[in-house]
Amino acid sequence: MNEQAGSRAQHSRRDDVADVLVIGAGPSGAVAARYLAASGFSVVALEQGHWPDANEFPGRRREYELVAQKRWHPNPNVRDLPRDYPVDTRNSDINPLMYAAVGGSTTLYAGHWTPFLPSDFRVRTLDGIADDWPFTYEELLPCLEEIEREVGVSGLPGNPAYPPQRAFPTPPLPIGKAGRKAVEGLDKLGWHWWPGTNAIPSMPHNGLNPCVRRGTCMTGCPEGAKSTVNITFWPHAIKSGARLITGARVREIEVDSRGLATGAIYIDENGRERRQRASVVILCANGIGTPRLLLLSRSKQFPDGLANRSGLVGRRLMMHPFSAVLGVFEDALDGWRGPFGQLVESFEFYETDPKRGFLRGAKWGAMPGGGPLGVTSFVGSQIFEADEGGTVEEVWGESLHKLVERRFNHCLVYGIIGEDLPEEGNRVVLDPELTDSDGIPAPRLIYKVSENSHAMLRFHVTRCTEAVEAAGAIETVVVHQVPDTGWHLLGTCRMGADPETSVVDPWGRAHDVANLHIFDGSTFPTSGGVNPTATIMSVALRQVQHMIAERRLQEAA
Amino acid sequence: MQPTEKDRLRFASLADRLLPQWRTMPAASTVHVHRDMLDLILRVRPDLLEDFFRGVRASGEGDPSEAINMLYRNDHAAFNAVNLVAVAAYYMTDAVRAIIGYPGQENAPYDPHETPAYLLDGTLERVVRRGSLYRPTPQG
Repeated sequence: MNEQAGSRAQHSRRDDVADVLVIGAGPSGAVAARYLAASGFSVVALEQGHWPDANEFPGRRREYELVAQKRWHPNPNVRDLPRDYPVDTRNSDINPLMYAAVGGSTTLYAGHWTPFLPSDFRVRTLDGIADDWPFTYEELLPCLEEIEREVGVSGLPGNPAYPPQRAFPTPPLPIGKAGRKAVEGLDKLGWHWWPGTNAIPSMPHNGLNPCVRRGTCMTGCPEGAKSTVNITFWPHAIKSGARLITGARVREIEVDSRGLATGAIYIDENGRERRQRASVVILCANGIGTPRLLLLSRSKQFPDGLANRSGLVGRRLMMHPFSAVLGVFEDALDGWRGPFGQLVESFEFYETDPKRGFLRGAKWGAMPGGGPLGVTSFVGSQIFEADEGGTVEEVWGESLHKLVERRFNHCLVYGIIGEDLPEEGNRVVLDPELTDSDGIPAPRLIYKVSENSHAMLRFHVTRCTEAVEAAGAIETVVVHQVPDTGWHLLGTCRMGADPETSVVDPWGRAHDVANLHIFDGSTFPTSGGVNPTATIMSVALRQVQHMIAERRLQEAA
Repeated sequence: MQPTEKDRLRFASLADRLLPQWRTMPAASTVHVHRDMLDLILRVRPDLLEDFFRGVRASGEGDPSEAINMLYRNDHAAFNAVNLVAVAAYYMTDAVRAIIGYPGQENAPYDPHETPAYLLDGTLERVVRRGSLYRPTPQG
């Protein structure tokens, strides 16, 4: 077990009662800890993973592409590391992707920085489906702009897909030859594009080095140039006195006779059970980990799981169905060069048009094709297969040589992220048999991609294929609804004003437990059609600012 | 588990069926996929060991083409392991990387203040001129 703490917390005892216990040291937990510690709260955070070591990231090593398919794969079931918990996905169309570490799953994210748009907060009002959020884009914007300064976002202001906002703290990254190729097609069609906005600074910023386009973002950045909260937030939180305990796997949130949270029981790295008491508990364990922990925290007072009077804990899971379109071009595109990272983004078909036969939309991000193993794979998973043939020599052999000659350094990949609408049948439950390495029940997913999502992805794949063909593609490959793409785990502890139809209130406080808060993406009423980290961090900031402002009114155990 | 010399030579013969000499591309055994690269891969991907050795050793000493096709038909896990080791080893060699023009993942510094071409040639301006795409927050 490792601890890092500021001078004040170093003198605290393990059985002290913290003002606030934060569970999970990813983006939302880091935001909470940093601002609370800076405001004088005593903060203890528990993280099941460890501090990531940039020297372990494989991006500088020859075997980078090979280990991306195992040790550094985003699917915990593929990695199968002791710090990961397994997930039963036999009844899920999409595999959830996550990483246990200080910094959480952003350790392996691509850094696409795409805040939710105004319509994403008013889905019911605008499109008559799903739900509105309890606040608007405009209300959240100040938090977003503050977060962007800390994160060191790179980008170009003025994107007409978004309302005007403050400029990004660092200039946009080069879009490279692959990005220019994507632009050729979009420009010919008169469709929207914008140089990619990324959580990857182009200049030194807040402890981050500038991106050097190594292109290994999704196995951890060995340059320290991808914005993750282990670099940008936790050092500040610890300096302000927060105590971060790693290798600590929480198995239960405890409550007292009044139904208030009193802290958590966790298993340390040596298998010892420990208890951390606190006046307030904040859950930041992602859209699967958070409902798992609430369901694990059953008691006489809460027989269906903690904070689950609505029965919605674990329900409405959204994971963003995802398709990929690969375009192959005659021109050399420096296809291994980063960022990876989106080079170019397009919101041309993001907003609802009912004539398309589905509601809501999707964002496209153009990315480079990767190294030679990348001609048949995407983020460590085989998806672009060679044509099947009768013998090994027909499928591989000269065919493989021809495939690499044709595609390597000559392709770009569009990732299409479609909005996932909430459905109560898509959910996280506890598995009756599967456990993690500490014997704690693992989550089981029950998730089906909806007809709306399938129709959406088919439409977008057709349009996206037109875009790469307009750019001069000599070959296109489409993969509809890629399974290993559940990066975005949202919606399983819905936020809302009504305790009968939501788990937490508009400020992230559990309706049923007055001193239990949830600040992660599980509270999202809807998912948007974009990568959610920007919005997760902004919402966490909004909630923690409110908690700090209302500290005198906070009920505590 | 370490490969014997016999394992190495058998693997090389199977790898040559997957990656034969073709135009300027050398055969797998020519770039010694069965030597240092094999050791490196088995070290960094221990999860492949069992399937890899089962595949190599089950293939016997007969015709490599028949052996690799038999593996492909009857033991997909073993075939996939042998295939992945061969292909990864091949494209990790300096010789093959030089031929296909892949320097490996490398730093490519740039000037972040350099004005991008899309701002100079009017392509981005056309996007801006088409106006906003977002639907504003409904009032009231």
